[in-house]
Amino acid sequence: MAEGGDMEWELSKENIQPLRRGRAISALHEALSLQQDGLSSAINQQRQAFESELRMYDGDDPLDVWDRYIKWTEQTFPQGGKESNLATLLERAVTRFTEEKKYHDDPRYVDLWIKFAENCPEPLDIFRYMQAQGIGVTQASLYIAWSEEYENQGNCRKADLVYQEGFKKCAEPHDKLLQFHKALQARVSRQVMMNVEEDSDDEPKQPERVSLAELKHRGKKKAIAPINRTGSAIRSISGGMQSHGAPVLGNASNSRLVVFDENKTQSAGPSEPKLEAWAAPPTSRAKENERNPEKWCGVKVPQKSKFGHTVMAPPPPKPTFQPFVEESDQPPTMTPCKINPAVNTVLSARKPHREETPLKRLQEHHQQQKEAESGKLQEQSMYCKELLLSGATEFCFEELRAERYFKKVTPEVRGQMDQACASASN
Amino acid sequence: MTNHFYTPISRPEGHQPEAMTGSNEYKLNQGPEDGISAVKFSPSTAQFLLVSSWDCTVRLFDVTANTMRMKYQHTAPVLDCAFYDPTHSWSGGLDAQLKTHDLNTDQDTIVGTHDAAIRCVEYCPEVNVMVTGSWDRSVRLWDPRTPCNAGTFTQPEKVYTLSVAGDRLIVGTAGRRVLVWDLRNMGYVQQRRESSLKYQTRCIRAFPNKQGYVLSSIEGRVAVEYLDPSQEVQKKKYAFKCHRLKEEGIEFVYPVNAISFHSIHNTFATGGSDGFVNIWDPFNKKRLCQFHRYPTSIASLAFNNDGTMLAIASSYMHERGDISHPEDAIFIRQVTDAETKPKST
Repeated sequence: MAEGGDMEWELSKENIQPLRRGRAISALHEALSLQQDGLSSAINQQRQAFESELRMYDGDDPLDVWDRYIKWTEQTFPQGGKESNLATLLERAVTRFTEEKKYHDDPRYVDLWIKFAENCPEPLDIFRYMQAQGIGVTQASLYIAWSEEYENQGNCRKADLVYQEGFKKCAEPHDKLLQFHKALQARVSRQVMMNVEEDSDDEPKQPERVSLAELKHRGKKKAIAPINRTGSAIRSISGGMQSHGAPVLGNASNSRLVVFDENKTQSAGPSEPKLEAWAAPPTSRAKENERNPEKWCGVKVPQKSKFGHTVMAPPPPKPTFQPFVEESDQPPTMTPCKINPAVNTVLSARKPHREETPLKRLQEHHQQQKEAESGKLQEQSMYCKELLLSGATEFCFEELRAERYFKKVTPEVRGQMDQACASASN
Repeated sequence: MTNHFYTPISRPEGHQPEAMTGSNEYKLNQGPEDGISAVKFSPSTAQFLLVSSWDCTVRLFDVTANTMRMKYQHTAPVLDCAFYDPTHSWSGGLDAQLKTHDLNTDQDTIVGTHDAAIRCVEYCPEVNVMVTGSWDRSVRLWDPRTPCNAGTFTQPEKVYTLSVAGDRLIVGTAGRRVLVWDLRNMGYVQQRRESSLKYQTRCIRAFPNKQGYVLSSIEGRVAVEYLDPSQEVQKKKYAFKCHRLKEEGIEFVYPVNAISFHSIHNTFATGGSDGFVNIWDPFNKKRLCQFHRYPTSIASLAFNNDGTMLAIASSYMHERGDISHPEDAIFIRQVTDAETKPKST
């Protein structure tokens, strides 16, 4: 590999998400060079090819296509993000094969589940769901990922229990499981030796936002920080193994009651200005600048008195003096906007966001399938819905028909057509 | 002056259009041998109908005489066609080539290409430009006089349908997105919208009065939308269910594939995979009429320039896979004011 090439990936290191299995350096180079000028048509074409393969596949191993597609997506979109559709793809892939018992212990399928769990806000729930459904219960990788998740949340006892469960189920490969279990034990004992205070026993810490930490944004709206943090975003914050510089705030249930000793503090430093005494109040659990949507249309403003006047905030008092305004002080000019944003909100037809987790969707899907089997469905779509919505992007009838058409057409006709295309574009 | 009649007309003496389900409707002879993708009437006369098909051809029909006048080939199935003027047709399809055909001289010209199949071809008379939309996630404009490419405009997703309202272009893409462009200033998107329907967009057609558009979805629903973004106009938008059949307690929901507007009354016809054609009055929110059930899915609909005739393409669109199906056919139906005019109440 040339020197210049190495430099290139070094420069955009912060845009590359780490993968469990690492990255092919050639794929990384290609992805980075392709993405310098937006989403190129080459990527779109490859994606389209995968999407149509998903739909047209008629062999006996449909998981293979999904597996390749997802691996390709990981390599092609090193920075992750919404354009990669990775989260959607993983969800579709795991949902698709939940009924297929033959895949339940397939390492590829279990890997997809683990990746899916890592992309979810609550990976532990997903692992529990997998166990309940019997997916990957004989695969060592499930227990390793599960245990790591507990460990990241600082719950080493549960992390160990997960390995015990794995041994009980005779998960394969046994050596690997043993090796990872030993590593865990080593880490725990080292931690005990270093006498790091371990204050949480059974309850995992709630993910919390660190003030002044950098926030990633999703999509185009740069101002909005994601509310649900997943994967590495949480881990770096609440990782149990690292010793925290500052104690975690808000874990009121776990912190011991500290009795304030007047004399002690005064003797420690009476001359110091007590600025940091205004510590943030303990935040309530699981609430982080998130407000559940509620119904507004039925809500009535309570009428205050029988005389019909409500208590209102008094209007701001008018200053009795003329505030001095510097002549050069212009009001900040607005950035010219193409569409009046106040008016434009009318056009968004998005319904109020429903509280929905991937796990909930999984269970709903399960429920629907049961209902369909028992013939309780009230509505039936008169088209091949499964095929249209199979991958990360949708297809229309014409696209599917085109795929079938091109399959039928002999290669020579296709060659002629390509020639015609080439001559036309020249 | 150009000859508007393509080739000398020799209408067979005493030839009567083949009767079908009554005197007001007949089936076109020499129809395409595979699925029909689009039917379009000539902008100036009710006599000529352009038909594109999956059999890789574009055909010109003389509707009055019920004969095929002309046919030209593409190298792959054709997904859409449009008249530029009464003597020139434009068409594109799976071969990604945009062709224009001189209907007087029977001469082909390849104008240009897209990077993937061309899904829609439209003409905008106000700006005098041809518009194509493709699965390569772009809309391209073409100067019909030269003819040459006049710009490529990237869309967020694959283009599934588009329609022209005056100098505005309404593009419907995969992922239920709707984009409104100003054809006089393609520098930026005028409006980005999300379809108000829950499922895939099948067809968008603009009102002849240019104030809005009608959007149909894959699951038996149609939405009436307005272009003016102000609150009071947006309040008027609505959606309704249609093309659903109820049998033994189960509701069968069909895709709504085709929309065509009546140029004078601003009423519109919808065609679904249930084989029915309905005509709607968007102002009183009423169905004006429903025709009999056609043999198979309605793939395309077209009113003629004065709204006295409706071309109905009944052609299976493989929406339920490659299975055996009734023959593809085009029906020409005489429509009356009673069927197309809003009831004044």
